Amino acid sequence: MKNRIKVLRAEKDWSQAELADRIGVARQTIVALEAGKYAPSLPLAFKLSRLFQRPIEEIFVDEPSDDIASHETK
Amino acid sequence: MKTSQNPTTRARQRYYWEFGFSIAGYVALIFLSRSIWSQTAPSWRIPVALLPILPMIFVFAAVVRYVVRMDELERQVLVQSLALAGGATALLSVTYGLLEGAPLPHPSAWWTYSVFMTGWLVSYFFVRRRYQ
Repeated sequence: MKNRIKVLRAEKDWSQAELADRIGVARQTIVALEAGKYAPSLPLAFKLSRLFQRPIEEIFVDEPSDDIASHETK
Repeated sequence: MKTSQNPTTRARQRYYWEFGFSIAGYVALIFLSRSIWSQTAPSWRIPVALLPILPMIFVFAAVVRYVVRMDELERQVLVQSLALAGGATALLSVTYGLLEGAPLPHPSAWWTYSVFMTGWLVSYFFVRRRYQ
C-alpha cells in the first residue's frame, strides 16, 4: 500500500527509529511501511493519523481493487 | 526531546530474559534427570524423564506473552512462517506415515519436532524478506 509516511516523517525531521518509538512499533515496521510492502492494521493507521494530525486518507493512498470496482458498476 | 523506550523493544528484552532463564532451567534439569536416572525406582522413571518439561512450559508461556506484546509486523511474519512450517511438517509427516508400511523404519518423534523447527527457520527467512 502506497503512503506518504516518508514525506511526513521528513517534514517533522524524525528518524525512522524516532517515528517507531513514537508509535510503539519496531523500526523494521517503519521501513516496510515506507517501502509500501506492508499495509498497517487500522489501530496503527489511526496512531499515524493522530501523530501527523492528518486524516488517514491523506497518509495512505487508496488503490481500489478490481473486485470492488466491478461490484460498484453492477 | 528524548522519547521513552519502545514497547516492542521492552517486550523483546523481557522475552530474552524469560527464555534464557527457562532454557537454563531446562539444561539443569536435563543433567539432573540423566544423573539420577540409574538410581531411580522404575515407578518414578517417567516423572524423572519428564522433569525437563517443567521449564519448557515456562518457555511456552514466555513465547505466548511475547507474541501478544510484539510488533504487529513481527507477529504477521511469525504467524505466516509458523503456518508454512506447520503445513510443510504435516505434509511430510503424512507422506512418511504412508511410506512406513512400505516398509520404512519408524522414526523417533524428535524428527517431527526437528522438521518443524527447521521449516520454521527457513520459512521465517523467506517471509521476512517479503517485507524488506
